[in-house]
Amino acid sequence: MDVSQYLGIFLDETNEHLQTLSDQLMILENEPENEDTINEIFRAAHSLKGMAGTMGYKRMQNLTHDMENVFSEVRNGKIKVDGHMVDILFQALDALEEYRENISENQDEGTNDNEPIINALQAILNGESASAPAPAADTAEASPEAAAAEEAAPAAEGGSDENKWHDIVLHEPEQHVISEAIKNHSNVFGFTVYIQETCILKAARAFLVFKALEELGEVIVSEPSTQDIEDEKFDFDFSLYFVTDSPVEKVKEAIAGVSEIDHVVGDVIDMDKAKIFNEDDEDAGASETTAETKEESAAPVSSAPATTSAPAPAPAAKDSKSTDSKKNTGNKPAVNRTVRVDIEKLDVLMNLVSELIIAKNSLVSFAMTESGGHSGFNEQIEYLESVTTNLHESVMKVRMVPIESVVNKFPRMIRDLSKKLNKQMELHMTGEETELDRTVVDEIGDPLMHLLRNSADHGLESLEVRRERGKDEVGQIYLDAYQDGNNVVIEVRDDGNGIDTEAVKRKAIERGTITPEQAETMSEKEIIDLLFLPSFSTAKVVSDVSGRGVGLDVVRSKIGALGGDVSVKTKLGEGSTWTIRLPLTLAIIQALMVVVGKEKYAISLGSIQTIEDVAEDDIKYVEAREVINLRDTVIPIIRLRDILGVQDEKDPSSNMVVIIVKKGDQLAGLVVDELIGQQEIVIKSLGKYINCSSRLISGATILGDGEVALILDANVLI
Amino acid sequence: MDALNIAREYETVQYIVIKIGEEQYGIDISFIDNIVRMQSITRVPHVQPYFAGVINIRGEVVPVMSLRLKMGLEVDEYTNKTRIIIVKSESNAPIGLIVDEVREVVTLDETSIDEVIRDSKVDETYINGIGKNGNTLISLLDLNAVISDKDNS
Repeated sequence: MDVSQYLGIFLDETNEHLQTLSDQLMILENEPENEDTINEIFRAAHSLKGMAGTMGYKRMQNLTHDMENVFSEVRNGKIKVDGHMVDILFQALDALEEYRENISENQDEGTNDNEPIINALQAILNGESASAPAPAADTAEASPEAAAAEEAAPAAEGGSDENKWHDIVLHEPEQHVISEAIKNHSNVFGFTVYIQETCILKAARAFLVFKALEELGEVIVSEPSTQDIEDEKFDFDFSLYFVTDSPVEKVKEAIAGVSEIDHVVGDVIDMDKAKIFNEDDEDAGASETTAETKEESAAPVSSAPATTSAPAPAPAAKDSKSTDSKKNTGNKPAVNRTVRVDIEKLDVLMNLVSELIIAKNSLVSFAMTESGGHSGFNEQIEYLESVTTNLHESVMKVRMVPIESVVNKFPRMIRDLSKKLNKQMELHMTGEETELDRTVVDEIGDPLMHLLRNSADHGLESLEVRRERGKDEVGQIYLDAYQDGNNVVIEVRDDGNGIDTEAVKRKAIERGTITPEQAETMSEKEIIDLLFLPSFSTAKVVSDVSGRGVGLDVVRSKIGALGGDVSVKTKLGEGSTWTIRLPLTLAIIQALMVVVGKEKYAISLGSIQTIEDVAEDDIKYVEAREVINLRDTVIPIIRLRDILGVQDEKDPSSNMVVIIVKKGDQLAGLVVDELIGQQEIVIKSLGKYINCSSRLISGATILGDGEVALILDANVLI
Repeated sequence: MDALNIAREYETVQYIVIKIGEEQYGIDISFIDNIVRMQSITRVPHVQPYFAGVINIRGEVVPVMSLRLKMGLEVDEYTNKTRIIIVKSESNAPIGLIVDEVREVVTLDETSIDEVIRDSKVDETYINGIGKNGNTLISLLDLNAVISDKDNS
């Protein structure tokens, strides 16, 4: 599994968890009995373990696993927290930090097993108040042998007998625990658990077995190791040694109580027969050194590191392997340095920037009224302007995320649809790296999914029809995203049937949405617009995929809520293109300030095409609507005075200022009285009390002089 | 100490007394965020008729409502005494109310507040009590009713 795309998240979360661990350990040091803290640490260690396991960082997983074990014991009240333990936990934390460093640098956790720390943790688990583990210098030496042990361990198999637990190799700490247990008159059993061969989640079952066992006593050792069991690195059986006060039958019952367990065999162990670490088989060397390492950590004072006898082949192999993998990963670019920020903090930052811009605007208007006598003052303003613009951009970028996270799931969806609809189709995506405001990206998934399903279901013809029409049997669907000025455009295109406007018309009449007379006079665009009405579907057969009449209206309202719009171009028999336009940012825009009557309005620069000076005489009439003919394009004009209900009379002048606005490829001319100029404005909501029925006003902004100006949504006018 | 004892005996509420036409109204002081002088109001087209528009209060765009129009009285005449009261209840966004005059703050206890009596002049649904302050009567505004938009929905 390729998990590299989650690396950023993994590192972020690891950071968070390490931070939690370190904070909570501090608390624990002062309040060893604090239960909340212990739980918190347990949870953090557990999450870390899970994450590291998923990402395939075995060493990190091992270490956190042992930390988790320690805390699980602490939580159960079996071990008391003391200074020594906290010390070791901090060392473990540092080791984890080191792993994280390594991973973020070259995506590899490194080869340090931190065996001494693990051993120390084990020692705590086993109730030994062992002294501090070998210092870091020894750690480096110890790790190759540990690696060797890891390599060799799975080799320890054999014995055709069902009681495979006889083959478990006991190391010294385990022997110690067993002899202690026997001394305390506890029972020590060996078990081999067989899982049904039909079982899919072996590791989960094994986990349940361990969980059941933990209620009765303590698992001393298992074969394969708990680590390998968790990773499903075992066939259908595993063996373990278990210390308990319960009788063997009860334990067997508990194990067999876990579902999908085939059967379990086990009995009291006989220390004489148990395989001890210095056994005479091929992996003796490896086992021995491991044991020595353990010994050394348990009693570092007495023994000089017995590393001289370290067997050559295994560690060498391991080493070369790790260097190999380093070579592979070393050249990869370092992970994206990501930062996770509380969205509220970002909002605060955004508000601050907003205020900065307001302050700047008031300076600008001040400068204008003071007739700009001081050039130094103007320079300062220009500087302030560039600062605020940059600040705005960078803050905005913090909020921007690529749409990748949303569209990545679509290929799979199309594949499934292809099976379900029995149509062959391919999805081609471009521009996944296009960035949009976080809030927009979160919301855009559903509308896009609707459109893609629509294309797959309604758009693409069935196989037979495609053949008949001489089209490629495999239907093509395209999803293209790109930035266009202040907008981001996402297009969903297919080479299917296109929209049959006649069918739409018939359906609309059938449903009583329009009268036959109306249908006669409707333009193609108006007919297509009918599709966006609630509960309107043209699919002849209501299918699982789409065609229940919920969809396009939802798409339009959702996109509308994000400040964008959706349009469609279609050609019968050749396919359709759905175009979604979204604003890059939601909070601050470049706008053109205009005057209508005595009121000031802002129009987003993004939708403005050109500004024209038009003589009153140039106005022509088409279907009783005013139009102008501008460079061979007939453009309907809209008098904002009338639309906005401005009362006072305008002095009749021969020329009008017409702002040509664009929505998709439709144009319209807005007649205003005066232009003020371009300004960066901060969008403020009008709040929920005011109910602007025409949706003409998309918000308000505060001007430099403190006055409020309204923002016109040109898209609604077209 | 005395004040405290009295407060324990009766629940007291402070009201700001405003004037609309000849009538006096009380607004629970705990809902009042700010009182500002009349300032230029930006008209918003196509909205409920009683909304005068929006104003800028410390960088926030706040809608302003004419209490007179909301209550079905004649159009406001802005004078030197006209004020905009910015009210804000817990979770709701602030909203401005245009009043003819702000007079004083009074403290009323339970005993001096009566249930609503029929009032022919003003739509009684906007009032949730009548307060007696000496010889004058104060209609206590039910802000939620004033702010809510039920007659338009």
